[in-house]
Amino acid sequence: MTEKTNNDAKTMANEKNSLGRREFLKLSAAGLAVTVGPAAVWKASRKNASDAEEESPHSWAMVIDQSKCVGCGHCTMACRAHNDVSPDISWNRVIEDEEEGTFLPIPCMHCEHAPCVHVCPVGATYQRSDGIVMMDYDRCIGCRYCEMACPTGSRSFNWQEFTEDNPAVPTWGQPEVPRRPRGVVEKCSFCFHRIDRGLKNGLTPGVDKAATPACVVACPTGARTFGDLNDPNSIVSKLLDRYPSFRLREGMGTGPRVYYLPPRDKEGEEDSNLEVCS
Amino acid sequence: MKRLSKKLLFPTWMILLLVFLASGVGAAFIIFTRGLIVTNLSDMVPWGLWITIDLSAVALGAGAFLLSAAVYLLGIKRLEPVARTAVFIGFIGYTMACMTLLLDIGRPDRFWHAVVFWNIHSPLWEVTMCITFYLMVLTLEVLPILGHADWVQERWPELGDRLESIHRFAPVLAVVGLGLSLLHQSSLGATYGVLKTRPIVYRPGMAVLFIVSAMAAGPALTVLASKVSARLSPRAIVNDELLDQVSRFVGWVLIAYLYFRFWDTLAMNYTYEPGRNEGLRVLTSGSLAFNFWIGEIFIGAVVPMIILLSDRLRRRQTLQILALLMVVGGLVAYRWDTNLVSQLVVFNMLPQDLTPRYTSYTPALIEFVAGAGVIAYGLLTFTLGARYLKVVDHSSAEAEELASAPSPVAAASAAD
Repeated sequence: MTEKTNNDAKTMANEKNSLGRREFLKLSAAGLAVTVGPAAVWKASRKNASDAEEESPHSWAMVIDQSKCVGCGHCTMACRAHNDVSPDISWNRVIEDEEEGTFLPIPCMHCEHAPCVHVCPVGATYQRSDGIVMMDYDRCIGCRYCEMACPTGSRSFNWQEFTEDNPAVPTWGQPEVPRRPRGVVEKCSFCFHRIDRGLKNGLTPGVDKAATPACVVACPTGARTFGDLNDPNSIVSKLLDRYPSFRLREGMGTGPRVYYLPPRDKEGEEDSNLEVCS
Repeated sequence: MKRLSKKLLFPTWMILLLVFLASGVGAAFIIFTRGLIVTNLSDMVPWGLWITIDLSAVALGAGAFLLSAAVYLLGIKRLEPVARTAVFIGFIGYTMACMTLLLDIGRPDRFWHAVVFWNIHSPLWEVTMCITFYLMVLTLEVLPILGHADWVQERWPELGDRLESIHRFAPVLAVVGLGLSLLHQSSLGATYGVLKTRPIVYRPGMAVLFIVSAMAAGPALTVLASKVSARLSPRAIVNDELLDQVSRFVGWVLIAYLYFRFWDTLAMNYTYEPGRNEGLRVLTSGSLAFNFWIGEIFIGAVVPMIILLSDRLRRRQTLQILALLMVVGGLVAYRWDTNLVSQLVVFNMLPQDLTPRYTSYTPALIEFVAGAGVIAYGLLTFTLGARYLKVVDHSSAEAEELASAPSPVAAASAAD
């Protein structure tokens, strides 16, 4: 690139005597600096985007079956332990619908067109090519604009530092990720560390426990399932194929990656072949 | 007795401001050490009083770019001394905004991240960049004022002259400032306008409303501050007729603002959209109704518009000052309402569940104390500027005007 510019400059300077070679080189160097400088900053700022290195063949999704969820909250507790979440915060809260007698667990939806990713002023929250919406806790400035933008209230701010022992540990598991500092926003990560580590060891997320999000593993009724939407044989693909499903605030067009199967009449159902993590 | 009270006015005012400033610094210390847990902010209402102060301070600083553009781009040279006041107020406003932001963000030590880590899709990123650059522009515009001050000229005449020489670039700074201001003043509205998840503010008109309201309130504060300081201090000298022209301009902008606000609000009533209509109800008949009808519309726009546009009413200085104060208050009310209305309606996640739920927010005492500290800093800086930097001084300009343009006046009077 630079060489080419120099060569161009040489020929140009030979042709046009009006502009001295030295001046021309200076000018082109300055021009190069002006154009390449901001581009370099721009590229550096998008470093995160290339974190996944190459396009992932996977497209992770979670399916939550409301007819199986009994609202026990095991998912919330397992999540608190494995992700070392403060008792003040739930990455995965479970809401009870008293009229219907059903439960609605709400993790991060990992939206395909995530509003939080669009609005974060510093790019601290970004999306991997496998669909997971990530948080860079070292970059977050704690402006909470993502909380303003999130359609499902899935984000929590660290209003104070979590210094005490985690009451969910060791009953519900051991922390697998570092604790977040005061003043940053945190949220469900689809346990990306379990997925990544599992894939590296040849495991299949959604099938092998060690490669599956902690909440899915902890669910005693098998209401939660996890898997690859790009794989037609994955549990989530099969479930979504077989049953009607809905997503939260779907009309907004953000494309959540968490699907819900509404409560069904349980009689005469045979889906033992779809049991997960057993 | 009256003389004595006038003499006591300045020290009393200073002591009052210093008390507020000191308690604000104390509050800020608690906030920085103990964290934002001491506020009444929550994950439901993450943006509260400080964001309102921040938005208002930026909007009220809009006089700087408007009057600079009027003087150096439109060539209305007689407004030059008014522009000087406006630039000084703008500088104060933007530094206030930066202080409040530092309080508000969870990691004030990372305030510079937006400059290094870009997300060009975020309105807040654009606002941060614009405010950073515009603060530089304002600093360059304020330095000549500092250089012009008597006490600088007496002690370091060379430095003073050098600072004053920056004034050469005033037209360039006016162009850059105009561009940056048009961008971020509207983008602050767009900051809310892009939030699809909060339908009451999810409107393209937010950007327009923010900049138009800032164009009314920014110059209004400039005129208000000039007129009030001229009435309280002999060191501030104003040309009331000149300022009245700016006031009249504010009246016209208020018409535009009311027009946009009317259609913007009214159009939301057609068809039902979950969240939007509930938000509108909160605004027009709920907890924000008084703020909206009285603060924003009646006192904030309609009454001052009538006063500022009627020659007879505007000429009554007390009434005009009151009207300008109303415009400033109306802008703060608008920013407060806009910020809060989007957060008070709580969403239901389930597609079939349409019953709205509401939350509430009242700032904690420490938020008020810290906010008051920031405002006290602004008032203190302006007071000192008016006293020692001649930021409100139309006398020299008048003399210059008379000296530089005697011929047309003389010709005109000769012709008479």
